[in-house]
Amino acid sequence: MNWTPELLSPAGSLEKLKVAVLYGADAVYLGGQKFGLRQASDNFTAQELREGVEFAHEHGSLVYVVLNSFLHDKDLEELPEFLALLSELKVDAVIVSDLGVITEIQKHSNLVIHLSTQASCLNVESAKLWKKMGVTRIVLGREVTIKEAKKIKEETGLEIEMFVHGSMCMAFSGNCVISNYTQGRDSNRGGCAHSCRFEYSIDMQNNEEAKKAYFMSSKDLEGIRMLTEFIEAGINSLKVEGRNKSHYYAATVSKVYSEALAYFKAHGNFLSDDLIRWEEELRKISHRDYTTGSLDEYADESSIYNQRESDDNKYVVTGVILEVKENEHILLEVRSAFVPGDSLEIMPFSGPTLTHIASTIKTIANISVPKSKPGSVVKVPYIAGAERFNIIRRKLAEAQI
Amino acid sequence: MKFVTYAENTTQLEELSILVETKRIAVSELEVIVGTTAISRFSENTVAGLEEMIALNQKFKLPLVLEWDVLQQESLFQKNAELVSRLPLHEFKAIRLQDPGALNLVKEKFPWLKIQLILENGNHNYTGLTRWSDFLGLQLDRLVLSNELSREHLSKYAAELKTDLEVLVFGRILLFYSPRMLLSPIRKVEVQKNIQDLNIEAYGTSEESPHAGFPLIENRHGTFMFNVKDLYLLDHLEELRSLNIGAVRFDLRFDDSFGHLENCIDLFEKRIKPEDILEIKAEHPRPVIKGFYNINKTDVLFTKLKNKRIQRQDDNYIGEIVDVERDQQMALLIKSKHLSLKSGDQLQLVTPEGKTKTLGLNIFSDTSGVGKECATTNEVVLLPFMSGVVAKTQVYLIHKDLQ
Repeated sequence: MNWTPELLSPAGSLEKLKVAVLYGADAVYLGGQKFGLRQASDNFTAQELREGVEFAHEHGSLVYVVLNSFLHDKDLEELPEFLALLSELKVDAVIVSDLGVITEIQKHSNLVIHLSTQASCLNVESAKLWKKMGVTRIVLGREVTIKEAKKIKEETGLEIEMFVHGSMCMAFSGNCVISNYTQGRDSNRGGCAHSCRFEYSIDMQNNEEAKKAYFMSSKDLEGIRMLTEFIEAGINSLKVEGRNKSHYYAATVSKVYSEALAYFKAHGNFLSDDLIRWEEELRKISHRDYTTGSLDEYADESSIYNQRESDDNKYVVTGVILEVKENEHILLEVRSAFVPGDSLEIMPFSGPTLTHIASTIKTIANISVPKSKPGSVVKVPYIAGAERFNIIRRKLAEAQI
Repeated sequence: MKFVTYAENTTQLEELSILVETKRIAVSELEVIVGTTAISRFSENTVAGLEEMIALNQKFKLPLVLEWDVLQQESLFQKNAELVSRLPLHEFKAIRLQDPGALNLVKEKFPWLKIQLILENGNHNYTGLTRWSDFLGLQLDRLVLSNELSREHLSKYAAELKTDLEVLVFGRILLFYSPRMLLSPIRKVEVQKNIQDLNIEAYGTSEESPHAGFPLIENRHGTFMFNVKDLYLLDHLEELRSLNIGAVRFDLRFDDSFGHLENCIDLFEKRIKPEDILEIKAEHPRPVIKGFYNINKTDVLFTKLKNKRIQRQDDNYIGEIVDVERDQQMALLIKSKHLSLKSGDQLQLVTPEGKTKTLGLNIFSDTSGVGKECATTNEVVLLPFMSGVVAKTQVYLIHKDLQ
């Protein structure tokens, strides 16, 4: 068996955690109600955290909890109680960016500390400093190349984590406070308003006409073609961005990257016909145009998205399976409407999708309906191979895109 | 309290020296930040230009502080580390650093060189500031604090930390720092060919919010965006002095602001009052603000970002209503791993709007309509319809001993 890095997936909620784990994540990262950078995300209550850690550990996955806000004094006062909970639950590490938070963690617990990408650790000397402060793993800034990451790992002996997929800040992480001054929301305490995705009119002041541009919007990172480089560099963990994203996203990225890594583990290479399928799957989730960012060379002009956010996906999530009654029906939590006769694609936890035509749609009261309603729960006929938490999607007709 | 400002070239250094010579400010009260393009975010000074300033300063003997505030990935960092090691570091009173890598390098290689640590990103707590201070010990000259700290926090830190503290009192507020070149792609192709080595300055206006005129700079280090309003705390110099803030910084590098230098020094020296220099505000190309000096409430909106009522709250949590068929049934997904649902249970239902309802459970069934006495985690069961209950209603068991 060949060595492969850990696949670390986002878990924006308890359900997303279960989805990510079942679809192959080796580890998940999540946030409590406070101290993280996604205040708008569902995040975890204490009970959900307990259940999530139990679920992940039962399935052999690790759990890292984000405490990566730049906390103010009054926030720190509330931290010890949460640290006690995390210690009791035996979470596998916490992800931190602020030295005050690191200090409080060390004072009140023995939790393993990973340095968040929010701290923008970019070079060997920086990693050495954070090692002195007690961190055992560095989540490098997305501006660092894999080659540089290898050097940082070799010269510090620290575990190294890099982003492999997902949205990217255009700024050095932690170095953007646009929301603080324009929206009154602290971007570094979870209130980012994504002002970098806005359109701006740029006045160059040189007799050129002002030009409208989404000049601060970055394309999304996709590192599926860089997996060999990650492995050769000995990068310990490959992180997927996206705690605010859907169950479908969590499922797809976890499944694709875990299958790819499993292939390498077995064969020692990525010379698989499935590579094309994996890439196609990553194009079926909501995403901006993809780039390899700075994984190979520092990101250049081609990494700028420069267009309005839009969702022109050819695939839409139909729902998540809540229950499978063998030989009777499947209970589906509907995310987008579909009608009898639509061809549904079920994403099993591993392997290719299963295609199925839903002949009937019934409500929970067993009443046939001509169309499912988003947000409702419906019954469709039993499909062999379907499991609870499987995602079901549907290809849109050209006219619907 | 020290007066800290920047000098970009020998001319500005000479102007500062004249102000010292003419006793407008004592040399012991002044600090001059100097830099060079490779290691300073906004300096356009060459290494030769910096060396020329250092040579000229042999005569003036102004306290010069070297600025190394760029954030750089390993390959670029190594080049800068080499450059810094070649500079006559003994000529500087201190070095200003932001990247923890630069900090570690200077601490290890130049333990005699005083450090001014820039903590403008985050570091909004006493614990962290103390740890940085302890880490650097006697090598630390000063902590440069974030613009987001309020007067209340500055007061506390100045009173409790043993370290000298510095705050910005006049100048641009940096909002965004990216290593990517974001402006040059917008320029006309024929212009791009000629301006590769030049900085680009522009103004951005949001098409999706009411904010107009963000100053933008693209240079060799990437792209920087500043707030549409500049920081102006010139009315608060005496207050900052009384709080025991060790240094106040006047960033006069942009918009020809260096012309305000004499007024700023006179104000600092209390020869004039803030109301005497209203022309600074009037002539300034942008509006000015006090930022977060009075109060920082940038976390108060967080509670509105999500509905707390749809979160599970306590140990009696049993699950969530996932669908309601009007006048027929409600589907309950049992989420609790530890509690089961039994016939005869009393349930409390909390809707997303916050309404609370109670349901005595006599009968329920599985999704095939088969009656059940008990259901456990992950099962979906059908309950009798109840008016006012909608999907995402949270369901709790009422303990029998509480009934």
